[in-house]
Amino acid sequence: MTGAQGNVRTMDRSAGRLSERAVYAVLFAAFAGVTAQLLVLAIPRRADVTLAISEPIAATSFSRPDIVDRNGRLLATDLEAPSIFADAGLVLDRDEVVEKLLTVLPDLNGDQLLRDLSDKNRRFIWVRRGVSPGVAQKVHDLGLPGISFRYELKRAYPGGKLAGHLLGYTDVDNRGVKGIERYIDEKVGVDPVHSAVLSSRPPVRLSIDIGVQHALEDELDDGARRYKSEGAAGIVLNIKTGEVLASASLPRVDPAWPLLTLDDKHADRISGGTYELGSVFKTLTLAMAFDEGLAKPDTLLDVREPLEAGRFTVKDFHPSNRPLTVTEVYTHSSNVGAAMLGLEAGPEKLATFLKKVGVTEQMTTEAGPLATPQLPPRWNRVSTITASFGHGIAVAPLQFAAAAATILNNGKTVRPTFLRKFDAGAADGKAVVTPDTSRLMATLMRLNVVNKDGTGGKADVPGYRVGGKTGTADVAAKGGYTSNSVITSFLATFPTDDPQYLTFVILFEPKALEGARGYRTAGLNAAPVTGELIARIAAQLGVAPQTVTATQ
Amino acid sequence: MRLLNITAFFFALTSALLLYALNYETRRLEAEVQDKERIADDARSDIAVLKAERGTLARPDRIDGLARRLGLGPPKTEQFEQGREVSELDARSKNANGR
Repeated sequence: MTGAQGNVRTMDRSAGRLSERAVYAVLFAAFAGVTAQLLVLAIPRRADVTLAISEPIAATSFSRPDIVDRNGRLLATDLEAPSIFADAGLVLDRDEVVEKLLTVLPDLNGDQLLRDLSDKNRRFIWVRRGVSPGVAQKVHDLGLPGISFRYELKRAYPGGKLAGHLLGYTDVDNRGVKGIERYIDEKVGVDPVHSAVLSSRPPVRLSIDIGVQHALEDELDDGARRYKSEGAAGIVLNIKTGEVLASASLPRVDPAWPLLTLDDKHADRISGGTYELGSVFKTLTLAMAFDEGLAKPDTLLDVREPLEAGRFTVKDFHPSNRPLTVTEVYTHSSNVGAAMLGLEAGPEKLATFLKKVGVTEQMTTEAGPLATPQLPPRWNRVSTITASFGHGIAVAPLQFAAAAATILNNGKTVRPTFLRKFDAGAADGKAVVTPDTSRLMATLMRLNVVNKDGTGGKADVPGYRVGGKTGTADVAAKGGYTSNSVITSFLATFPTDDPQYLTFVILFEPKALEGARGYRTAGLNAAPVTGELIARIAAQLGVAPQTVTATQ
Repeated sequence: MRLLNITAFFFALTSALLLYALNYETRRLEAEVQDKERIADDARSDIAVLKAERGTLARPDRIDGLARRLGLGPPKTEQFEQGREVSELDARSKNANGR
């Protein structure tokens, strides 16, 4: 009996131990499960999960660093601006809402909003983004249920249209689309934000000086008005560092209203278009001739006879009745003379030289790629002749300015930049022309301004030692050139005893002034505009004038 | 043994109270921090607006018009005597960041 009882007890005990174990096992499994789950949650695989939960209706925008000029003056900044949105689920009477909103925002697309509001499941519909505080207050005062506000960042340009082409613009999400704004997105970095959080990044410092930029735009305005030109463009470049101090193209664009100016007329003519620049190109031809040892400044060239080039004839604007020296070819701007120098070098040497100074390959700056240069399809006798005086080859003005700066910078390649350089003057690469050629060209440019018969006399500013070259190019049209519209330009450098700055001013289709007997060559319009410009900016750029007694 | 128990009991009670107080203090500080952060945010956005306003007021085309109305104009060569009066902005511009 006792044995049987003992048996039962042991069975009881073993059954009890078994159930105990089961409980432990279940508990352990539960703990293990929870731990595993916690571990899964702890691994930050998807950071957006939490954001999506906390802010289901958030629309991402971007906070951007400020843009300042070389002296730290503000060009672009982010501001908080109210944006209006609708919650279809809360709107009671959508007809009333749309009707009342139209009284404050007359250009609103009412039909579209009505359609959007008809879907009660849509909890977030943008009505208008980035409005002024005044408009937001008016909408608020309408007291419409379902209409709410949130603060977003909106780009503001305190300078208005100043340097508008260069700055580019942003879209409604505050993302850069063009120009420096795009560069900031691609290279500097912007931060996605869910509300109006201002950027803590340091400002982007441009090479532009807003004082010089304004002077350039103002003088171009004056010039365009005086000579009734269709447009105008200009650059001021630091020869030693490649920094662009000002870059303007008229008509201007407003970075705050980019969509109003997307047409061709408002394109950036400094980098966005290529033009046959005409005689300013002789600067490159002569530099090649000197550098290759083909000519000296006093070499005589017989320019009396027009030059046959395929189906047309190259003539001079003012044909000379005597042989000219190379210096005179430059100061009289003789097409025949430049063509003869080009022919003496031959197509290959000219093409190689143009490649060396960087006018044949597409150039890129921080503000984006420049327009691709248009070269002659083949380098033969005809294209050599025309390219020698700047026809049959079209480049963006900024690219040409860089090539001219390279020649004036003792041959060291100048790469234009729109960002402030703090290690100024750092020379890189080997020289593409000799320092002698560089000095010679500066002297020639100076002679073209001071000589009585030079074409650039009107660009002179006493004391600043300005040198320069004119260019008057017929505008290329379908099937040839139109003789009634021209592009005039003036390439200038100062001070010529040690070239520091380069300016390049272009007027598009200027008209002759009264009393000019129909003449509208660059010496009569682009040159005086350059003179006014240099008189205004030289001191700002730190170039001190030398009085006549001091220089001579 | 009993003494140890009593000590432990009081210790637990004290630390519970301390913890309670600390909790409240933390929440208060948290609220204070949030308050300060809000003030800082407001100040930051005010600075942004003022900066932009200053930029607008100081833009060169506006100054140009005002200066000309006062009878001023671009400098002439004769006005520079020693050449020392030319711009030295570059030298002291490194510290200005949009202000």
